[in-house]
Amino acid sequence: MPYYRCIIPKDALSFEQRQDIARAFTDIHCGSTGAPRSFVSVAFFETPDGEQSEFGSEYYLDGGNRAGRSEEVKQQLLADLTNAFSDIAGVPAERIPGRIRENPASWTMEGGFVLPEPGQEGPEWYAEVAAAAAD
Amino acid sequence: MITFNCTIQEGIIPDDLRPTLASELARISTGILGGAPNEVSVQWIEVPHGFGFRGGELSTTSAVRGEIPPGCDQETRVRLMQTIQDRWMELTGCTTAELVVSARDRRDN
Repeated sequence: MPYYRCIIPKDALSFEQRQDIARAFTDIHCGSTGAPRSFVSVAFFETPDGEQSEFGSEYYLDGGNRAGRSEEVKQQLLADLTNAFSDIAGVPAERIPGRIRENPASWTMEGGFVLPEPGQEGPEWYAEVAAAAAD
Repeated sequence: MITFNCTIQEGIIPDDLRPTLASELARISTGILGGAPNEVSVQWIEVPHGFGFRGGELSTTSAVRGEIPPGCDQETRVRLMQTIQDRWMELTGCTTAELVVSARDRRDN
């Protein structure tokens, strides 16, 4: 479910930087929410030269998560993601706006399961996810 | 109006399979939710190799994100997602771990 789209200028980041950011985002998201690492997706989309991104800024972090976390957790998560991106990309955090949108967990099926609400996962659910991923 | 945004990784879904997948998404969704298949919109977003990651590693995951009319009950929503998942896996050969399917209520923003 967690899906982070990173809007970036063309040729702004090397493969190594993109992978470092993806790994940092995975660490931050899982550390904050307890989600399985395999659920965290990060994709980078380059804005072609001479065009403006859909968000009107050079850089943008567009996250999509399960609903149900507190506003404080969401804001801290976004701040941590922004700072990690800033550190790795060498871009001031002020130039990296972003948002985290939410949808009910029950609207998504991942790994063959309808997602539980945050905090409702339980050990059985984690075991089922791990078993499905190993198939 | 039902729309699907299919985000796929470069090289994972052959180009010539996409029309079949799109027509199956239209057939399945209208079969369960009603409406006409020609009113279903399917868009493809291809993530270039080296630009998509899952769990911090290069991704092979496809995400089929549907927007459906508001008010769908959960049983119907799950049946829609399950049917799409089963057919997508059948056609592409991917595993459950390589597919995310969602069916969210359409909203204006």
